[in-house]
Amino acid sequence: MNISYYVYYGFITVLETLLRLFPFPAKTGYQNVGNPNVDSPVMLTCNFHLTILRLKKATKGLNYHLLVANSKGINVWCAATGGHLNNHSVISVIKTSGIEDKVNHRTIILPQLAAPGVEAKVIQKKTGWKVLWGPVDAKSIPDFLEQNYEKTTEMKQVEFRFIQRVEMAIMWTFLIAIVLMPIWGPLFKIEALFLLAQITLTSLLAFVSFPIYERLYRREKEKKKTFLSLGNLLVLLINLAYSSIGIILYVLVYKRDTSWILLRWCIVSFLMVFLMNLEIKGSTPTYKSDSHADKLYDVKIDLEKCKGMGICIDVCPRNCYEMDELKKKITMPRREFCVQCGACIVQCPFDALYFQNRKGDIIKPETVRKFKLNLMGKRN
Amino acid sequence: MKVLESAPHRYDRGIKILTLGKINKAYDRIVETIKKEDTVLDIGCGTGMLSYRAVLKGADVTGIDINSEMLDIAEKRAHNMELKIQPTFIEMGVAELNNFEAHSYDVVMSGLCFSELSDDEIKFTLKNIKRILKKEGVFLLIDEVKSKSIFKRFLNIFIRIPLIIITYILTQTTTKALTNIEERINKAGLMIESRRFNFLDNFIELHIVKEVKE
Repeated sequence: MNISYYVYYGFITVLETLLRLFPFPAKTGYQNVGNPNVDSPVMLTCNFHLTILRLKKATKGLNYHLLVANSKGINVWCAATGGHLNNHSVISVIKTSGIEDKVNHRTIILPQLAAPGVEAKVIQKKTGWKVLWGPVDAKSIPDFLEQNYEKTTEMKQVEFRFIQRVEMAIMWTFLIAIVLMPIWGPLFKIEALFLLAQITLTSLLAFVSFPIYERLYRREKEKKKTFLSLGNLLVLLINLAYSSIGIILYVLVYKRDTSWILLRWCIVSFLMVFLMNLEIKGSTPTYKSDSHADKLYDVKIDLEKCKGMGICIDVCPRNCYEMDELKKKITMPRREFCVQCGACIVQCPFDALYFQNRKGDIIKPETVRKFKLNLMGKRN
Repeated sequence: MKVLESAPHRYDRGIKILTLGKINKAYDRIVETIKKEDTVLDIGCGTGMLSYRAVLKGADVTGIDINSEMLDIAEKRAHNMELKIQPTFIEMGVAELNNFEAHSYDVVMSGLCFSELSDDEIKFTLKNIKRILKKEGVFLLIDEVKSKSIFKRFLNIFIRIPLIIITYILTQTTTKALTNIEERINKAGLMIESRRFNFLDNFIELHIVKEVKE
């Protein structure tokens, strides 16, 4: 790897991180990483350009066959829950990429986060390939291979890490700036730069403080209320306090003429914080947006149907499940961490899991499999 | 046409507007060669626009598509038309074409599907079409292509810029036209019998045969 690679990697990372709400499709099909032979593992990923780049960086020095499936340029988790990375994309890349002539085994490692959209059972039935669920993070792949495809709890769990929180804050700031600066610039002139700095500061502080918010949210998670909840209110207050840092600085800098400019400044800050608060949960991988009706549904276990195979333990990105070894049944001791991704429901071979809300409405496994999660309420 | 695929119930009307109503004429034209009791496979049948036309000709039609919601509409349409022979619709991608028996279809047709496929998929599909078709079989293809004339290509892009932007905003995807399709068809061992372009050269209708008649 030379300098030009790092320049390229840095440039692409910055560009695609700033614009990460938009898809960047890469070419689908077969790629070899390192010098794989007929016994080397076969792994699959989505065709989001940045994902492939990061996967290759994280697995530098390993030799394996890589299949890039069509996810319409969207990352694995979003594409799987949105129905873009599905059985058809996986079957297609297995059968049309020519991989079957390149290896003498029939085991494919899929990202664990593809589980809400790709059914291991169907892939095995239609292609003869056995699906193994890999770790959630590409960085764990070297360890995962070394430990003979055994995953530790950490490898299975999605977290909202510091660096991801900063990335998310920067992405939001950048998008807000692109939309608002052409309007604010001519309107507020130099003041617009203050506003921009304020947005950056507030969203950085808000996302960096997310572990504190999580504690507030967790307490009320079982109540399942929507926007009007104590946790949301407290978070809003904290964020308003953050944004008032900007106002105080503004007063200190512009000691004179603070009357109505300050009022305008306060209103803009308040609106921004308020808008950000509406979607702060939705911007994390560990919470569902308050606007999402799925949030009101819980995963339920039909103990009659459960055979204790434990596939749900393998695919749950929040480690909600545990096996009751005596009864050979699954239990859900960490229910409050569930993000309703649907992976367990989609993968259970006995249809023992389903969604149910407090009113008693049920969403059956076949409905989750067909519509995945976000088809605008169609799955009811 | 991703923008329309994401909303199956609007697909047909959208396609009709985009092609200025020409698509229906093209569909009518392309099914003309289908005879009574032909066995027909419709690859990427979508809402069944080609399938039901073939059924009206008296053919026995099987339609495959990966979008289950589009298939639901196709089935509903066939049902509402009270056709004597109902077409069969299967949720299946082109990667599963190898499950069809060799020499089992008189006609294979595909409308606006190939441009959604990857290069690997197109190669695989063409190989299997050749295998599936009977000796005298025909492959009918309608799709978006890139014009060879730079002027027409430019004109085409110019006309479609608003459309591309809207498509991207709504679905965050772009459509891509087929490139080198004739070359790829020839490479797969199929023979192009006749071709027809629309005035901007952005739509092509191809009649393809498995073997040249003597």
